Amino acid sequence: MLLDARNVTKAFGSFWAVAGADLSVAEGEIVGLIGPNGAGKSTFFNCLAGDTQPTSGRILFDGADVTRATPEAHARAGIGRTFQVPMTFEDMSVLDNVMVGAFLRHPHRSDARDHARRIVELTGLRPDQPGRSLGTPGRKRLGIARVLATEPRLLLLDEALAGLTPTELHEAIALVQRIHETGVTIVIVEHIMEVIMTLTRRVLVFNQGQVIASGRPEQVVKDEAVIEAYLGRGARSHA
Amino acid sequence: MKQPISPRAGVCLLAAVLLLFPLVFTEAFYRDIGVAFLLAAISASAWNIVGGYAGQVSVGHSMFFGLGAYAPLLCYTLWGWPLVAGIPVGIALSVGLALIIGLPTFRLSGHYFSMATIAVAELIRIFFGTWALVGGAIGLQGPAVARGWWDLTFRGDLPYYYIFLAVLGLLLFVTFEVGRRRFGFYLRAIKASERAARSLGVPVRLTKLKALALSATFTSAAGSLYAVKTGFIDPDSGFGILVSVQMVIVAALGGAGTLFGPLVGALILIPLQTAANTWFGGSGSGLTFILYGGIIVLIARFEPGGLHELWRRLAPIVWRRAHAA
Repeated sequence: MLLDARNVTKAFGSFWAVAGADLSVAEGEIVGLIGPNGAGKSTFFNCLAGDTQPTSGRILFDGADVTRATPEAHARAGIGRTFQVPMTFEDMSVLDNVMVGAFLRHPHRSDARDHARRIVELTGLRPDQPGRSLGTPGRKRLGIARVLATEPRLLLLDEALAGLTPTELHEAIALVQRIHETGVTIVIVEHIMEVIMTLTRRVLVFNQGQVIASGRPEQVVKDEAVIEAYLGRGARSHA
Repeated sequence: MKQPISPRAGVCLLAAVLLLFPLVFTEAFYRDIGVAFLLAAISASAWNIVGGYAGQVSVGHSMFFGLGAYAPLLCYTLWGWPLVAGIPVGIALSVGLALIIGLPTFRLSGHYFSMATIAVAELIRIFFGTWALVGGAIGLQGPAVARGWWDLTFRGDLPYYYIFLAVLGLLLFVTFEVGRRRFGFYLRAIKASERAARSLGVPVRLTKLKALALSATFTSAAGSLYAVKTGFIDPDSGFGILVSVQMVIVAALGGAGTLFGPLVGALILIPLQTAANTWFGGSGSGLTFILYGGIIVLIARFEPGGLHELWRRLAPIVWRRAHAA
């Protein structure tokens, strides 16, 4: 297993945002993480990325314990993430934004620039465009490009495709597929079922801090517990 | 987009103007302004590394300036050292202080960091004011007559002008190099978003500490140069809050986080300050506060990015108009 999270919990005071969640991801997989708003997906996700330290549980990455490691240590280990709201470095050009990521494995400026240029090409952005002039789709793409430049083995995408028009969405799905083809393992949190259905072979459904169902996406959407979590009790009989 | 002049030509022109200035304007008054301008530019450029590029707005940089100012005079008073030999002592103390201060205060962000730096600088100022070894509230004096070149005590302003200019040149070169390297990219990333920077593997705390240490090195050197030239230092002129605030204002006026911003800021503020003090008499320090306050209001209200930002917006328009015909 590339990633193995066991019995992860996160408590804020007496509220359990994540209450004993498990997730194992094999090298080369794309796994989807879905669930209604407030289900604890993002908190669990932040625990995986090192942004939040879990209250208890253990997270292993490639056999090494990363439960309490800092976000920068996660990046060094090969776990990359994007943010729901892309945090673009506004005053820097697209290329400079991506170079920040590229410097992690390429300390020299010219190597970092070459590496960043290749990645910017892959994502179809204009290298010299100022970060602040990008719209939402551009920012999401840049977020992905930046983290790709750190050469992650595991990529955590946090609603990286939300808020896009249908055309942009198809382009973004194609981009994620291209990234996956280069051998990057991907965990994706997403609300858009089309994305989950197209990209993933396995999904986990979150509700109230726990995994309530998992399996192939076609099966999971028919699961009683899942429908209940999204629509409430009795939804099935009304349908 | 075409630029009116190439950056390289601009830098050469600037260097030529600065080199020739004291030879053209030979009156002591102008040379005095020139030296004051260079000193302000050095201090603000040093502050700019951590305050501008890394976006960690310290309002307590006088702690490094003061240490740098006291060190040569203290080493002279205690052991009769050449003043030149005290400068590295000041730098070592300042870097040490930067690391001690940086570890806890960099846990704070935004205004809290600024306030913590003010508090530390004020504590040191008050402490020095009561400490007999460093002359208490009266302060310390250098040698009345130079014992050799290594006391850096000259009669006219000209030698100081060129020493200060050389230090400024070195500092700008270092800043330029830093800006091009990984370190500089990391600083700008930290300024924009610490969380995003960390997610990309940027060692945020370490990078900030390095920036503060580098900034402290040159701020301390600026303090030493000030003390060596004045031949005298007391807690207020070394550690006073005006010293810190001047660095912030000079950098912010020209454009914090840009290479030449502090230079432009000093070019405007220092003559303005000198003129105000000359015209309105000796009770100048109150006036300085008013001047600083006015500039803060103007920058905050109209152009938070400083004159650099204004230039970036207006230059293309002016350029296009001029060449429209």
